Amino acid sequence: MTASDTDQQLVQRAQRGDLRAFDLLVLKYQGRIGALVSRYIADAGEVEDVTQEAFIKAYRALSKFRGDSAFYTWLYRIAANAAKNHLVAKGRRPGADATIEDAEAFDDGGLVSEMSSPEAMAMGDELAAVVEQSLQALPEELRAALTLRELEGLSYDDIAEVLGCPVGTVRSRIFRAREAIDEQVRQQISGDSGFR
Amino acid sequence: MTTTDRDLEALSALMDGELQDLELRRTLGRVSEDADLRARWQRLQRVSETLQSKRVSAPAIDVSLSVMQSLEDKPNLSRNPIWSAAIAASVTIAVVMGGQQLLSSSTSVTSTPLISDIGGGVVPVMGAQPIQASLGAKSIPVTTRPAQDSAMPEDVAAMYERLARDRYRRLNPRHAQAAALSHPAPYISYVRAPNASMASESEQD
Repeated sequence: MTASDTDQQLVQRAQRGDLRAFDLLVLKYQGRIGALVSRYIADAGEVEDVTQEAFIKAYRALSKFRGDSAFYTWLYRIAANAAKNHLVAKGRRPGADATIEDAEAFDDGGLVSEMSSPEAMAMGDELAAVVEQSLQALPEELRAALTLRELEGLSYDDIAEVLGCPVGTVRSRIFRAREAIDEQVRQQISGDSGFR
Repeated sequence: MTTTDRDLEALSALMDGELQDLELRRTLGRVSEDADLRARWQRLQRVSETLQSKRVSAPAIDVSLSVMQSLEDKPNLSRNPIWSAAIAASVTIAVVMGGQQLLSSSTSVTSTPLISDIGGGVVPVMGAQPIQASLGAKSIPVTTRPAQDSAMPEDVAAMYERLARDRYRRLNPRHAQAAALSHPAPYISYVRAPNASMASESEQD
């Protein structure tokens, strides 16, 4: 199982009309899609409008999404087109086309940094520092489970085999590791309204 | 209703695609009722992205409520499949059927790549059969089809390929423009024919 399996699960439910599932996809990807749109459009208000429009378009076209590409790649293309159409409608000239390579690089987080403001980058750096610090402070068994999941992309079954423990234990360890990190993240940035 | 460890653990498992359908449904129900769980889901995603990339810093943006409100207020727009059928058909039928007319009595034996062999993903198009397109990606090496028993002169096959490619190149910009201006849903911005080098390589074969 991978993150794209999660997307696939949520997409399938959203395709059957479950808005709650689509809501989780919006929450998951709105930051990255907003960053993509801001590549084309400078005005923050317009970025938000176009990002919203992209998600609405995606939902309405969701019945035609067949999973031939990753959901995020598909969503990325819709957002890029929405941004370009917005510029055309405003009489401005859209820039270069977004490509699949861009989407993949973007999905890796690479382009996000490049296109973010200094403030956003500083916030990202701060978050990265807190996460790293929290990860290192975890008990060994929690850190191992989370690292195998997040960095190696192993399924719970595979992690159970590697660590020699039941799948239920893996699930519990990963949960506890995330809770510990989340606790630190919340404490560290509770006064920072930029991160939600 | 208070958030329980069970809810939080299920949310964590959902992130990893490790929930069965029953638990998924229950979790979706809980998340939709609990603002803290929604916020936590978003935070966990950011933490996960940070762990994986160590350098993610997206702008603060939250359109989730407005998207949900908009989708709840307005049901799905009725879609007119004629748009996409017409757009996709204008390219694929012109290329494929036009070329097939030249193949009236025999099948292809050419070892040059066929248009249908062009590298790229199969792209779903509203109301139409999937079509294959490069989607702006680089062309990938094309494998050739083995020669078949029923022979056709190579010059006819080559002519068909040339005609097909010419038609493809001529219609592609129109297709992209029409789709960009009129299609209410995602469209294919570019559909590329194989590049010149690939074509010349194929002809040398």
